[in-house]
Amino acid sequence: MPLMFLSSLTFCVFAILLCAAAYGEDGPETSSRLALSVLPIFQSHCQNCHGAKEQAGDLRLDTLSTDLNADKAVAEKWQRILDMLEAGEMPPKKAKQLRPSKRKKLTTSIASAVNEAIEIHSKTDRHRVPRRLNRIEYANTMRDLLGLNMDYARDIPSDALSADGFNNDGQALQMSAEHLACYLDTARRAMEKVVVSGPAPRTYNSEFTKSNVGNWKGNVEFSNRLGRQQEFIVKMVDDYPEQGDFLIRVRLSAELKPNIGFPLVKVSLGYRPDTQVLFREVGLVEITEPEERLLEFRGRVEEFPLPVRGQGKFPGLVVMIRNAYDDGSLLHKGEQSKEKEKKWTYPNEPNLPTILIHSVEFQGPLTEEWPPISHRKILNDSNLRETDEKAYVAEMLGRFMPRAYRRPVESTEVDRLLEFFQAIRPEFPTFEEAIRETLSMVLISPQFLFFMDPASDPIRSIDDWTLASRLSFFLWSTQPDEELRSLAASSQIHEPELLSQQVERLLQDPKSSQFVEQFTDQWLKIDKLSNIAVSRDRFHHFDDRIKADMQRETQQFFRELLDHDWSALNLLKSDFVVVNERMAKHYGIEGVWGNSFRRVPIAPELHRGGLLSQASVLLSNSTGRDSHPVRRAVWLRDRILNDPPSPPPADVPPLNQADPKFLEMSVRQQMEIHRNTESCARCHSHLDPWGIALENFDAIGLWRDEVKKPLAKSKEITIADGMLDEVIATNKTTTSKKEPRQPIDTIAVFSDGRQIDGVDQLKEYLITERSKQFAGSLVSRLLTYALGRKLELVDQPAIEKLTLEFVADGYRLKPLIKKIVATSAFQAM
Amino acid sequence: MTIKSWQLDRRAFLKGTGVSLGLPWLECMAESESKDSSVQPKRFCAMYFGFGVSLPDEKGEQAKWRWFPNGEGKEFQWNESLKPLELHRDRITILGGLSHPHGRTMGAHDTADTFLTGALMNEKSLSNTVSLDQVIAKANGNQTRFSSLVMSTDGGVGEPTRSSTLSYDDKGRPIPALNQPRRIFDRFFGAGDADSLAERRRLKSQSAMLDRVLEDASSLRLRLGNQDREKFDEYLSSVRQIEERVENSQRWLEIPRRELRDEELKMLDLDSDENAPMTFIRTMYDLLYLAFRTDSMRVATYQITNMADASSKAGKFPQLEGFKDSLHTLAHAWDKPEGAENLGRWDRLMTEQFTQFLERMATAPDANGSLLDNTLVLYGSSNSNTHNNNNYPLILAGGQNLGLKHGRFLKFGDHVPLSNLFVTALDSMGVHREAFADSTGELSEIRT
Repeated sequence: MPLMFLSSLTFCVFAILLCAAAYGEDGPETSSRLALSVLPIFQSHCQNCHGAKEQAGDLRLDTLSTDLNADKAVAEKWQRILDMLEAGEMPPKKAKQLRPSKRKKLTTSIASAVNEAIEIHSKTDRHRVPRRLNRIEYANTMRDLLGLNMDYARDIPSDALSADGFNNDGQALQMSAEHLACYLDTARRAMEKVVVSGPAPRTYNSEFTKSNVGNWKGNVEFSNRLGRQQEFIVKMVDDYPEQGDFLIRVRLSAELKPNIGFPLVKVSLGYRPDTQVLFREVGLVEITEPEERLLEFRGRVEEFPLPVRGQGKFPGLVVMIRNAYDDGSLLHKGEQSKEKEKKWTYPNEPNLPTILIHSVEFQGPLTEEWPPISHRKILNDSNLRETDEKAYVAEMLGRFMPRAYRRPVESTEVDRLLEFFQAIRPEFPTFEEAIRETLSMVLISPQFLFFMDPASDPIRSIDDWTLASRLSFFLWSTQPDEELRSLAASSQIHEPELLSQQVERLLQDPKSSQFVEQFTDQWLKIDKLSNIAVSRDRFHHFDDRIKADMQRETQQFFRELLDHDWSALNLLKSDFVVVNERMAKHYGIEGVWGNSFRRVPIAPELHRGGLLSQASVLLSNSTGRDSHPVRRAVWLRDRILNDPPSPPPADVPPLNQADPKFLEMSVRQQMEIHRNTESCARCHSHLDPWGIALENFDAIGLWRDEVKKPLAKSKEITIADGMLDEVIATNKTTTSKKEPRQPIDTIAVFSDGRQIDGVDQLKEYLITERSKQFAGSLVSRLLTYALGRKLELVDQPAIEKLTLEFVADGYRLKPLIKKIVATSAFQAM
Repeated sequence: MTIKSWQLDRRAFLKGTGVSLGLPWLECMAESESKDSSVQPKRFCAMYFGFGVSLPDEKGEQAKWRWFPNGEGKEFQWNESLKPLELHRDRITILGGLSHPHGRTMGAHDTADTFLTGALMNEKSLSNTVSLDQVIAKANGNQTRFSSLVMSTDGGVGEPTRSSTLSYDDKGRPIPALNQPRRIFDRFFGAGDADSLAERRRLKSQSAMLDRVLEDASSLRLRLGNQDREKFDEYLSSVRQIEERVENSQRWLEIPRRELRDEELKMLDLDSDENAPMTFIRTMYDLLYLAFRTDSMRVATYQITNMADASSKAGKFPQLEGFKDSLHTLAHAWDKPEGAENLGRWDRLMTEQFTQFLERMATAPDANGSLLDNTLVLYGSSNSNTHNNNNYPLILAGGQNLGLKHGRFLKFGDHVPLSNLFVTALDSMGVHREAFADSTGELSEIRT
């Protein structure tokens, strides 16, 4: 009926015009244009699920504003709609499809509106808030600024993570009275050590060629020949320092054995209060050559457990040296010798690597120079100190403050501090005490504790100093070094060529491990490892210490790609692993000895290579008893594909599992049931397959071909909080010896009908069809970390450009980092 | 109205401050008979001795040297060790059966550190957690000049498992104890010791520092955009909060310390030391009492002896008092012939000192009654007899105005963690906590 059609269309357009009129004033034209072209299509194709009745994915289209220019949040929603349309995910396969021309019209209109909005918002948007140094940055910066090793982060509360998992997000990093009180205490604590007074303290120097403690806690065999069960223990009863840097020199050689790991010399310092001993490790070094050598270990004595002079049953500071080699084999039982001394001996283990201690020397406090260099760096020798205290302090502050504030300071800024010094000087009996307070004030100033965006302070404009800081904190998590400072001072650092050279230099410096560790930990969330308790009755021989190796493996893998400029696609799939002896043993790779990580080619039948088969990822997304396919799937979609599923709704109905048959099913079958329940299916049909494909890996990341056949045990299960946790826990209640086993079912069926069988096919699929998406994900995460803030709509063009170039550059990380540093976002005010 | 010692001279007070302050214990200047419970001062102290007590069999020959009374509830009968407490029968409760579950898994002599914390310290970790007194001090400590008084015979912190302090801060770090009577006197009643002078300088400097930081930051704020201001205000409000804390501590610098009366000065033997144990212990108790009496602090701990054996100054206390053995040996010999009596006689000496302290507290007037009425006193050890980390010998005294009910011997089973008592004690002190350490609930039996 043509008439009917006409009237309804008229009504429709009229309604749209009405709506458009109500939108904001900034962009009525764009707004109504968008409304006219888009809303009818929404009405016919989308609003069944995204309308008044239902808001699938928390999206409602009939009331969505079309004025993107007025409200950034609105524009972000439209961007998300555009993404879904372009990815072909909407409308869903089952629903009525859009004609290509209609789809084209839709995406073009939205894209043009979004682009216009981006342009408008990037003019007005200020994206950086003053961000304080996080805990790690604070500790590193204090150390480098003061030239003193100390546990600066000891009392600082831990940092909040951003929604995206990063700990350097300005919005998420809070400042509180608790923080500030800690910063002041820490500054004062440090200043007491840095600014010294009085004559040089007495230096203690002791040398030992054999253990000198008569009795010790437990059954200990004292020896210079250190197998796994011997110890070399020396005690300084009175002759030890209570403050300052110390040096322990160990002269040793080693007996190495073929086809076995290397001995590890572990030096600890501490004492014995009574029935317990209290030690802290000074250093752990792997001995890979048999020849005699001299090793030096350094530390700050007050960071170690110290006996109380004049108290205590076993007075004296103790150096303990052990061979920390551990091949996991059982320790032999010791025997008490019949001699009067009641010494213990242990059977010799000739096949294990041994350390021979020749001598041990302890020196401290180290005062080759007095006052120490950290003191003189601040308080230099100058006649002024005697003749004109004020001028001396002004000069001192003029040197210290620019380093602390990471930029040149105005003379008025120095004057403020000087005025403070003069105000408190009469209160303090000594000059040094007043100086300590004055410098402490610098160290609680917002100019030190925050990255103050110079744009927010119109007195100064963005400059090379800010850029030097951003670069240094990005790649080193600490303040700029001398070279960066001088490049900033000469206003050169912004020159593209130089900047790129500096990135190169910073990445070659050992301090760049800060970047590698923090970025991989936070991007891949592998620091979660330590929170997963591995089930003892399931994995009898699991040693928690290997968690650190797992974490290290992922970091070192990333490092390898970075250093060799290899494709980041190796993260998805690689023909090598980066492992040490312990990780190699864990994976069943032979012939890897020692603690250090190195690249090892890997046979395909071991199914390793790439993140998806790394134990760090697999364990941190497991329950500690078994795999957790949903968690693994969420991790993969979120971290690797940057397509996180929406969080589970609050009101998930419990899955009715009264049927014992359910509990006899395999995890995959259970998940199928789960997906067939309508309320779960919408999300889980897109989610679960990713995890199913990884089912060959158990909780700790070991390969398995079959699992225990679950036995029924009726229990109601809620899906809200990791439904599979419960299912799996129920499955594990059986420990009978001959359990029925069933093969692992790893065939994952995706919502588009694609089948992927197991991890190898999954890797292949990601490489061939998802590598660009992965590139976008990595770029977004790296940019987030580099900027220290959450990405916004206005960053979209930069992300797209960086991603294109990253792909074109062969997915190499170093060029990407250089390009990130060159973006206007990184250099923006 | 009679002038009470803890009442301030109004003129001295005003002269000293210059401003009207929301000062702690302002009721001391008002009618002391005030029945307003919101201004009820709440005080707490804990005393500790090491190695437990004499616990011979109830039916054996030496039964009368058993520390715990016979019977139960209101109808209990004293044995010799606690008999001096008869005087205060209505002001005390004897608690049997309680202990820290973690302590039971620890070394026999390793539990002094955790008496007030309930922490688990073993070869895996020798770190402690916050102690009961410091939780109270943190909550209520700003009401007085000092947030707490921490004393012990050995002083300092000692070594883990052999600590010489009962008090641990909220990070579980030991708080050094004072052990020289003269130093305690100087700090609390004199011109101030070296530490308090240094503290005074720090506060003054800190206040000047924060003033300037706040000024500079405020002018910086004016130059910030709106979005940045919001974030930066976190910093400004942090500075202001710390300034308030400093001001609070500084107020006390302006107020003269309370002077002691002549007879109080006379009773103190400030030069006493560990070589004359009974005089020393009495002096420490007296200082504790005077610090309460002058309302200089409301939270205190006193470790009378510990389990560091020969390396503790208290190890030789019994010998100095005419006993044959050191404290450790004396404690170990409780099941030898005459051992129970020997240790019991030592227990009784400890009780006599404690009783004398209670006597002073009970006869000193305070808001709505006596000092003791407003003070929750915990006295005991973390061994029952030596090597046994269960069934702590414990006495709860005072605190009737804080809701405590007395005159009974209460026995508990092993399943009740001592921390339950701490939860209830905290509640009585106006510090409401769901839990403390490994507590499983409250210990409501101690309350009316």
